[in-house]
Amino acid sequence: MTVLDELVAGAVEDARARVREIPLERLKKEVRQLKRRPLDAALLLKESAGIPVIAEIKRASPSKGFLADIKNPAALAREYANGGASAISVLTEGRRFLGSLDDLRQVREAVGIPVLNKNFIVSDYQVWESRANGADMILLIVAALDDTRLRHLLVLAESLGLTALVETHDRKEIDRAIAAGARVIGINARNLKDLSVDVDQYARLSSNLPEDVVKVAESGVFGTVELEQYAKAGADAVLIGEGLVTSQDQEGTVRMLVQAGHRFKASQAMPLSTHDGPYFGPYGGRYVPEALVGALNELERVYGQAKSDPDFQKELGRLNHVYVGRPSALTPAPRFAELISGRVGGQVRVFLKREDLNHTGAHKINNALGQGLLVKRMGKNRVIAETGAGQHGVATATVCALLGFKCRIYMGQIDARRQALNVARMRMLGAEVVEVTTGTRILKDAINEALRDWVTNVETTHYLLGTVAGPHPFPTIVRDFQKIIGEEASDQLSAYGIDHPDGVVACVGGGSNAIGIMNTFLDDPRVSLYAYEAGGDGPKSGKHAIRLTPGTGQIGVFQGTRSYLLEDDQGQTLDTYSISAGLDYASVGPEHAWLHDLGRVRYDYATDQEAMQAFSDLCRTEGIIPALESSHALAGATKAAADLLGRGVENPVILINISGRGDKDVATAGRWFGYLSEEEASALEAQGGQDKGGQTKEEDR
Amino acid sequence: MMVDQSRQAAAPAQPRGFSRRTSPVAATLEALRQEGRPAFIGYFPYGFPDEPTSLEAMRVMVRNGVDIVEIGLPYSDPVMDGPVIQAAAKCAIDQGVTVGGVFDAVRQVQEDGAKALVMSYWNLIMHYGVAEFAEGMADAGGAGLVTPDLIVDESGEWIEQSDRYGLDRIYLVSPDSADDRLELTSRAARGFVYATSRMGVTGERTSMSGSARELVARVRRAGAPYVCVGIGVSTAQQASQVGAYADGVIVGSALVHCLLDDQGRPRKDRKRALDDLASVCSDLRWGISQVKR
Repeated sequence: MTVLDELVAGAVEDARARVREIPLERLKKEVRQLKRRPLDAALLLKESAGIPVIAEIKRASPSKGFLADIKNPAALAREYANGGASAISVLTEGRRFLGSLDDLRQVREAVGIPVLNKNFIVSDYQVWESRANGADMILLIVAALDDTRLRHLLVLAESLGLTALVETHDRKEIDRAIAAGARVIGINARNLKDLSVDVDQYARLSSNLPEDVVKVAESGVFGTVELEQYAKAGADAVLIGEGLVTSQDQEGTVRMLVQAGHRFKASQAMPLSTHDGPYFGPYGGRYVPEALVGALNELERVYGQAKSDPDFQKELGRLNHVYVGRPSALTPAPRFAELISGRVGGQVRVFLKREDLNHTGAHKINNALGQGLLVKRMGKNRVIAETGAGQHGVATATVCALLGFKCRIYMGQIDARRQALNVARMRMLGAEVVEVTTGTRILKDAINEALRDWVTNVETTHYLLGTVAGPHPFPTIVRDFQKIIGEEASDQLSAYGIDHPDGVVACVGGGSNAIGIMNTFLDDPRVSLYAYEAGGDGPKSGKHAIRLTPGTGQIGVFQGTRSYLLEDDQGQTLDTYSISAGLDYASVGPEHAWLHDLGRVRYDYATDQEAMQAFSDLCRTEGIIPALESSHALAGATKAAADLLGRGVENPVILINISGRGDKDVATAGRWFGYLSEEEASALEAQGGQDKGGQTKEEDR
Repeated sequence: MMVDQSRQAAAPAQPRGFSRRTSPVAATLEALRQEGRPAFIGYFPYGFPDEPTSLEAMRVMVRNGVDIVEIGLPYSDPVMDGPVIQAAAKCAIDQGVTVGGVFDAVRQVQEDGAKALVMSYWNLIMHYGVAEFAEGMADAGGAGLVTPDLIVDESGEWIEQSDRYGLDRIYLVSPDSADDRLELTSRAARGFVYATSRMGVTGERTSMSGSARELVARVRRAGAPYVCVGIGVSTAQQASQVGAYADGVIVGSALVHCLLDDQGRPRKDRKRALDDLASVCSDLRWGISQVKR
């Protein structure tokens, strides 16, 4: 005799005893007199915006023994309901689970949400008494019933308005449940050896179920971790018992689970182009000191208002036009295209989106201006920002001069020394430049210092973050201010009679220029998207900033967000290297991490060598000197062209984002290619502050 | 009644429900409240200036009156810390400190008779594995974690694992925190709520801001049974002032400072450094014992 047989036998015997007190006919009569109609639980358990929680009241179980002393099931049910449970499961089996129908009645009285009679139901009498005692749902265990009986009980339940949760353990039982007409199927995917939850097993079992069947994950949920695992594996709802009755704050635990369900659904929301934070799939969020939460909430609120305020949009549009010089040009690049075509052995067309022609020389101004207007709206008067070596710092200093804010830029000492020109530009614009001497004295340390400043002065100060990284709402806000790049390009292409580009190519450091040009095309499957990270000396050299190629970045939290991260075996941040400072960052924006996992954007890298070659190619074929950052996109264009041709796209149109201009990089390039003698390069540095070691720090931050 | 599961550290993959052991730190705070004084909570970074010296320093702290040791895990990017603790962290990382090693410090502090909390930025715990860290902590007899860059909203996994092993969850709040945030944090916290005495990062301050007293009152109203105050406390007088209204006084930089020279490097003469640490601790403890309630 198995445990199940024993439990069923016990339940049958108990029911028989109850029949002697209330015969079936009397029970039926009682039911007919009931005014209350059961709730349609199947409908309530499939929710587009969340993962409904069925919260269980159970005192003990045969496998775990005694769990909790529940004196007042009604009070516990109310706590569950207050926490946001979608249904309450009541264990009414008396022998091993220490429950009773009395518990069911009490719970029914206490709550207005569906109540499940969880027992070993094998007879008509048990179905009728479920209804008589106020249940909306009953449990039917496939393993305890033959096909005829299962079908019969399902039909009976339905005729009484009851929803049956049909419990299964394996594929065979699931097929039987479906054949019998089950609408709500519970899958118990517990590994019976160690009682752990086998989510992969759950995913296997729950796949190929009919669309309209509600899939309930039935075991092993203790908290948000398992709920998320089940949600990922395709569960519509979860049932949680032991994890709740043994918790110290039942209402709070249910609330946390319900919130996690909402959060999960929101993190997966489509379409991609309008997907807002805090979460991009499993990435993003806010990993910050509590002291910053108020400021982040305020920023989110004020941005939400500004976004839908026509006056704000008008002012931003006006300044974009008269101050930044938007729209930036879209330039056909036939000679560069010819060069690529020759290399890949097929014809391609290339268009360049000229963010290098913006005021201050890069796309960074788009975001700095947008956030500057938000600062005005928030009534703050002090702005801080980080910069690797210049472009974001200069853009921020520029906007602060334009709008009349106090401005302080944090810059790593190493960067400040080799980028004296940009330090001077920022100071000329009225900004205070602080050299950061802590840590490794580069970009990430500048961000740390800016965060420390913000924690201390958050009431008066806005942190004008320069990329689609950092805590929510920065990745969303910066994306929104940068997406104009792709929107313009899409319009500008139609002037050439081109409906859509076949490929869009950008470099990716934090990732703002890439998101900016790609956002418009994210939901258009005809457009392939390619992003190139800083390959430095290559992934095996240890000198690079490649986060998204297997074997490089790992999932971590860094500077406020969860994403891919270059870290050592202890979780300490690794040093990064690239010839282009703007791409030289240990992590990457959370939306990119998600797009990577979804396979929507193909992430690859270009080494220093490849980027410098592409830099030279564009200079000589088109008369445009690109930033070293953008040169990584140009290097990638050849790889993208080969990929498109290889996939059978004829005469592909490739759109490349020239995120910034390369004036700042001429000394580095001059030295790299040997155009300048040591003396000439040094003289150039003396005048303009270019980097000595071939490592310029600019643009993307 | 529930079975006490505090000894179930080496639990199976799915241990039965959640531990219901009493919060270890709350128990200490309650006992001290009965005695009529606040707790002396001392921060020290594990592995600074090297592993043996850091363990010795913690032993010195406990012998000289520290009730609860907040053991810092050195991190490469500590955004809530000022220059003193940053310097110490960098030194410890350069020494090759490992996350798993911190349990030795936890064990020692508990054996010496104080309670051990670990203070860590979240990436280190995430990288180590939240469940693995919780299990290691419970195995070592530690009380729980202080998480300076983990807010309640992102704590799902930590809340679940800390509940499973009965570990304390210490969150920071600041004078700028809104009431709803204080309530959310107080509800999710276990042990005590860490009130930062003013806006800003860790470090010694010449004067204590009045906002700390007000913050403590607000956190109590938000439902936290125990509130301790840190950030900026460095003298016996400050400790005594803060102790008048807080359940515990947290001191960090002033202790770490004892082991650093003027250039921010570890002092060569370890013995004298530890003697200084001992006297700073007893001085602070004296200040705390002067608290009139």
